[in-house]
Amino acid sequence: MYIDEVIGACLKGKEKFDQITGKNRILSPLVRDKGELKKVSLDTALERSIEIMKESSKPLLYGFSTVSCQAQLKGIELAKSINGFIDSNSVICQGKVLNTAKEMGLTLATISEVINKTDLLILWGTNAAESIPRLLNKILFSRGKFRMTGREIKTLIIIDPVKTASFGVMGVRDLSLNIDPGKDIDLIRVLKEECCTPSGFPADGVAGIDQDDLKRLLIQLTNAENAVIFIGQGILSSQTSVNVVHELLDLVHMINVKQQKGRMSIMMLGGHYNMAGFDQVALSLFGKNHSLQFFDNNLVETSETIISKLSKEDFDCSIIVGTDPISHLPWKLSKALMSKPLILIDNKKSASFNIADVILPSALTGIECEGLAYRLDHVPIELQKIVNPPNNIISDEELLSKLISRLKPI
Amino acid sequence: MEMLVNTVRMIDYDQVKEYSFGDENSLKENLAIGIINPEDFEKLKLTTSLNLKLSNEYGKVIIKVKQNKDVPIGTILMPVSIWANQITGISNEQLIFKNIKVNAETTRDNVLDIEELLNIIKK
Repeated sequence: MYIDEVIGACLKGKEKFDQITGKNRILSPLVRDKGELKKVSLDTALERSIEIMKESSKPLLYGFSTVSCQAQLKGIELAKSINGFIDSNSVICQGKVLNTAKEMGLTLATISEVINKTDLLILWGTNAAESIPRLLNKILFSRGKFRMTGREIKTLIIIDPVKTASFGVMGVRDLSLNIDPGKDIDLIRVLKEECCTPSGFPADGVAGIDQDDLKRLLIQLTNAENAVIFIGQGILSSQTSVNVVHELLDLVHMINVKQQKGRMSIMMLGGHYNMAGFDQVALSLFGKNHSLQFFDNNLVETSETIISKLSKEDFDCSIIVGTDPISHLPWKLSKALMSKPLILIDNKKSASFNIADVILPSALTGIECEGLAYRLDHVPIELQKIVNPPNNIISDEELLSKLISRLKPI
Repeated sequence: MEMLVNTVRMIDYDQVKEYSFGDENSLKENLAIGIINPEDFEKLKLTTSLNLKLSNEYGKVIIKVKQNKDVPIGTILMPVSIWANQITGISNEQLIFKNIKVNAETTRDNVLDIEELLNIIKK
């Protein structure tokens, strides 16, 4: 069986299918020998991985956002069996929202709810048109089951310092707010004040947004029947010492208290397709959504994250699964990763591939192997296998299982 | 000249796409870039043959420049990549990917390719 044509996928989905035969696909296991990567058998690559893990007393496992929940489970099992520390990409992304939600709760919505009920969509610090290409098609231009009309009754508000591609879908009734960089907290606080004790917005506006637009924004927020705020990295990467997410969730809570006839909720726009999966798996097993440290087969209390572990170089080898930290992280953290043995499980080349000591190629989940993934609205989706992987490559889950089973006789 | 860098994800300058289907040259051409407002392009006295050197407390990087009038004045948009991460850092135990203060200056120095960059980081 082969794939002739991909229909209905977004650009990123199409790319995923193209990766099957992509020229930079990793097709065989590799081990670094005297600085050079050499093709080896899967057995040899697994053995070298086991050697690295046996020599390690502080292994670090990271990634797991582009693999199935079954592979995430195996990753946690591996971390447990080697006294490792495991973290997912969520810790620098939507995990921040979940951490804050533990203190104060969180109103979530599913994509189906947004399609069928929502009349106000707010993109705050996110360029959904380019980061999740089909999302706006689905939620903005669709006719909801409980609405007689579609796009006509939906208002879109975009709050962003940059006029991104998402601004291209705006209509006359929508509101584009070019906020000053890093001033989201000022806007949230003034909206909270106006929600509690309306005294009028400052005449010269707030955070680069003029008074009229602020009034329009508040009217929309407090009058919508069903509103959803889509949170992106623009909010999550705030540099202030104040927890912007906390303030935003507080604003949503205040609006929901004030708003008798409607509801406002939050949706986190994580970039990796199963980032929410790791949060769900870790939460269901340990009550903690990321940053799990194991010792003697037990979870131990820790305040460390992948960032602090790498900053302090508090690890002696790393197992990276389905991600490219050398490209994603500040160079000082990449340098720390490069200084210790690195085992990479992935299906395509990357900057991390260039420095890895062992590379284990994996099948593409949802195309070459099946598995469960949690969509960005935390709805579980069963991914199906469509074609066989090339070169008998096995899934991330199977690779991690093989590592675990080879460790057991120790 | 002081500017703010925002790292962003863009369909046309996407590292996953480049790593999957590109080569060393296309990686550099599509990821080692910054997009700025034409007014800033003028202010920096840039030409198409010159590059931009960005430096701050975290590090430095040389990039090619593209112009787009939708980018706010004083802002540089950089696609998420190893090049952008030469000037990102940590503050309050959080990674800083947005609104990163940099000093921007015109340079004739070349943009480094990924191998050169990795060797520098290793050292």
